[in-house]
Amino acid sequence: MLSELLQGIESGGFLIIRDSCRYSGRDLLKSFITAALNREEVIHILCFDVSEEELKDGLKPSDTQRLHIHNAYSDPLGWTGHPNFTVQQFSLEDLTNLVKQTSQPKPAVLVIDSLSWILRHKTPPAVCQTLQQLRKGGAVRAVIGLLHTDMHQRGTVGSVCHLATSLISVAPGVKGKEAVARVTKRSKSGKVMQDEEIFCIAEDFTVTILSKPSHAEHKTNSTEEEQTDPTANLTFNLRLSDSELEAKQKLTLPFVFSKEKKTALLHPGPGSGRILYEPDANDDYDQEDPDDDLDV
Amino acid sequence: MFTELNSILNTSPDSFTRGEFILVSDRQSDASFLIHHFLSFYLRARCKVCFLGLAQSFCHYSAVSQRLAKEKGQLVFFEGLKECLSVLTPKENNVESEAMNFLRDPPVGLRSLYEFVRSSVIVSDNMEEGAEQWGPSVLLVDDLSVLLSLGVDVGAVLDFSHYCRALVCSQVQGNMVMLVRCNGEEDDDDDDDDDGDVGSDVLLKGLTHQCNLHLHVQGLPTGYCKDIHGQMEVCWKRRQGDAPHMQKNLFQYKVYDKGASFFARGTSSAVL
Repeated sequence: MLSELLQGIESGGFLIIRDSCRYSGRDLLKSFITAALNREEVIHILCFDVSEEELKDGLKPSDTQRLHIHNAYSDPLGWTGHPNFTVQQFSLEDLTNLVKQTSQPKPAVLVIDSLSWILRHKTPPAVCQTLQQLRKGGAVRAVIGLLHTDMHQRGTVGSVCHLATSLISVAPGVKGKEAVARVTKRSKSGKVMQDEEIFCIAEDFTVTILSKPSHAEHKTNSTEEEQTDPTANLTFNLRLSDSELEAKQKLTLPFVFSKEKKTALLHPGPGSGRILYEPDANDDYDQEDPDDDLDV
Repeated sequence: MFTELNSILNTSPDSFTRGEFILVSDRQSDASFLIHHFLSFYLRARCKVCFLGLAQSFCHYSAVSQRLAKEKGQLVFFEGLKECLSVLTPKENNVESEAMNFLRDPPVGLRSLYEFVRSSVIVSDNMEEGAEQWGPSVLLVDDLSVLLSLGVDVGAVLDFSHYCRALVCSQVQGNMVMLVRCNGEEDDDDDDDDDGDVGSDVLLKGLTHQCNLHLHVQGLPTGYCKDIHGQMEVCWKRRQGDAPHMQKNLFQYKVYDKGASFFARGTSSAVL
């Protein structure tokens, strides 16, 4: 599923890459940017977290025609007096103007690095509203955002991720260069698909899917443990000699009935005791008239 | 300066990576010995150092070299404790510096402190004749958690560190070292903790996302030991040009009077 997402995001799609301190999702973000550039798409990047140079590092220089990086790193709050792009400009009108400035025929893909920066300065409802308007607006074809999940409360992360059509949560893998991606994809029909894959990113930001994490590996591979002998290593003898074993097997237990014994008890044959009953006069007890025997 | 740490980090005063943000953090331990290391390292590398000393006074760091450096103008020392007094008890003749004005009004944020850093780091063009040319500017902060306990919001501290990084690391291509201290136990998803610890944890996480190199100092998980004072985890984030992955190493250390020694786990001189 990760490779399908890399091949293209549908129109109106919103992809969120969720990372944490333990593994940075920026490399995967750059892989998405590289893949989109290879597909000849126009990309606008809102760069808050890292400098422009660091973001461009590793991307092929020939693609910069279609790549527009908006520097919101040097002065996102307007402290210097002549900011390039501030966090307050994250609204539908400003972003639409920003994207339309480049006057490209195709609607662009908007990449936000990172959503966490914006969420620290604007309220989550405002951010969600802007993102939703961007998706439906038409100026932007699709939105890709990077979100640092450990910097916000779970409710905030949950609200923003609820808007997304695809979610990728990245975590470090077992071996050095590998990482684990949990992909959730929500299609327009409402179907939700989830998958977990191990991947690694090469220097040119191509992603290689290695394998699914095999859960069988987590179970013990060892063969069944040998039955431990409880009668070993004791100070007393719990073992049986052969004759004792024979006698034990011959022994019939008092209340364990074999079939023959059951039928013998239930159907008594001749020669067994019989019970003869002759009712006495006094024994004639009429239930309906208990005083019947009174001589009145 | 600790030579063993230099070899672990693969740097020396003559050659070090520029534009780096080094985060030093500790949890229930004291990592300020690393700040002493970096101070003497960058002074020896002939860099212009701007030191925000918020936790201790200048005497704490002063060795002969530091005092000389201050006189020659290589070291700009911002003594937070003294500046606090001038804000809290203003006297008539005192020209109070704007840098600590967040003490009176915490929501204002750390913009004035940033302006102070900016004025120290940007080398003025019109220098006097005979003034020495120093190397790239370096910002050292000891420590950021003090700002949290002074009432500054975590978001404001993260903004401050972001702006310092944009100025020092990207614009001026110097280096930045910041110390952050955490108190509580490392929790996974607990929202029930008291607010103080959660603030410093969020600050640490935010700074970890921003930094290039992270040195995390902790006590030994097995408890107190006379010969080993703790463990230090060194985490290199992706450097430019290298293959994209994160590298982590764990060392143990012992602090002496005039230095510290670092060794791999289990190779302490007391053991071998």
